[in-house]
Amino acid sequence: MSKKDNAALTPGEKYINWVHNFGRVGIIVIILYMLCMPVITCAVFDCFPPIASVLKGGAGVLALFIPLGISEVLSYTPIVGSACYVTFLTGNVMNLKLPCAINAMKLAKVDQSTEKGDAISTVAVAASSILTICVIAVGVVLAVPLNNSGILQNESVQVATNYMLPALFGGMFLGLLGNGGGETVIRKKLLIPALPALIVLVLGLMGIISSGMEGIAILVMLPVTLLWARFLWKKNIIKVEPNPDRVDPAEEETATEL
Amino acid sequence: MGFKEIASSPLLYGLVIVGILMVAAYAAVFLKKAYGRCLALGFDRKTVNGVIKSSLTFSVVPSISIVIGFLTLSAALGVPWPWWRLSVLGAVGYELMAADMATKGMGYESLAAMAQANDPKVFGAVMFVMTIGIIGGLLFVLVPFGKKLTTGMMKARKSTSTWGVVFSSCFMLTMVAVFLPLMVTGDPVQVAVLATSAVVTVLLGLLIKVTKWAWLNDFVLAITLIVSMVSAVGWNALLH
Repeated sequence: MSKKDNAALTPGEKYINWVHNFGRVGIIVIILYMLCMPVITCAVFDCFPPIASVLKGGAGVLALFIPLGISEVLSYTPIVGSACYVTFLTGNVMNLKLPCAINAMKLAKVDQSTEKGDAISTVAVAASSILTICVIAVGVVLAVPLNNSGILQNESVQVATNYMLPALFGGMFLGLLGNGGGETVIRKKLLIPALPALIVLVLGLMGIISSGMEGIAILVMLPVTLLWARFLWKKNIIKVEPNPDRVDPAEEETATEL
Repeated sequence: MGFKEIASSPLLYGLVIVGILMVAAYAAVFLKKAYGRCLALGFDRKTVNGVIKSSLTFSVVPSISIVIGFLTLSAALGVPWPWWRLSVLGAVGYELMAADMATKGMGYESLAAMAQANDPKVFGAVMFVMTIGIIGGLLFVLVPFGKKLTTGMMKARKSTSTWGVVFSSCFMLTMVAVFLPLMVTGDPVQVAVLATSAVVTVLLGLLIKVTKWAWLNDFVLAITLIVSMVSAVGWNALLH
């Protein structure tokens, strides 16, 4: 893009262009670095594995995780918006980045897929990423004393950690199903997830889908939700109205100070 | 040099530290740019700083659970490689599963058995497999279509028809529609913890309404998470 074209853009458009250009370049650079790591290590230590070993060990992993990775990016990118690059690059999307982004939009009383929602999600996810990198680094430094103390292998700690996702989602889902702090609400919103939830429930009880397949299930259920929501919207069963619970953050702050 | 020596080599430590610093710098640049954008859009500093505070406090507990996953992986794969995999692109569940599947695919009973065999080429194979498996989503969807996906969603939302609002809500609602039934049909402790989390969130919301402690909003997610995880220990003892 020429300087003249760039000057004609609004600040919002310049920001979006920057996010996606920097995001893509950063992702490509880091993916290339990731691929170089095993190459450099194997070259220095002369331990390149036979292709057959990589295929044998990798066939199952690739068959499961490539479609899963694709489905997760397709499903979650519309939720996190332009925070997607830092979200997916730093990983731990379900248990960390997604709740961070949703919580940020709730606290800031903005809706997803808006400029404000995008920007505040990016702040939240980037801050969370830096903290996680630091905590893991501290964990690495303390790895030996932590292991010796046995605290992280304690049964209660293991049990608590096993149930982290439901501990997170109970409150988070309540917020998603409620009115939230955004400018609009959808009347009878609960009808939208009702049909896909029923289908997932039946498929889950039949054992066709189970925990671990959420990414693919979301991708499959998305068209169902969209078609069902379209039907409900066209029939005027669900309606979009101004949010009666919304308090302007500036007004709320003044009221608190008074 | 064997499997264990390579897995703990200074070269690998060096590569990992450089990589992690690159990713941290990437996140820091996004943080700075997005913070400036928030102020330009009319957010006041207090709101944005509150969001950062909330994200940081909430992120501590899940980060500790990642450290637990790291300790499990590092027993077999050394320190640097699991450190790298859990800091960049990965997730605890994925890395443990991928390492296990790669191991069994190569004919070993377990990660520990593979580490015992001490074959350096096996470590090389694990590195390649764990790397290639995770980059699919980014390479095939995010890089080519990320901008279209996000700007398309924004355009849909802005359209004068109210369908845009409904359309953009469908993604989060689909997530709820998939996760809730799968959790509810899972083990009873999961259901109890889910319910506890919802109740704690409601109680905190009421407390904030009554006391007008607006500052508490920043900590609701972190408090809900910790209280619900602790409740899991009690529910587990009661229901199992």
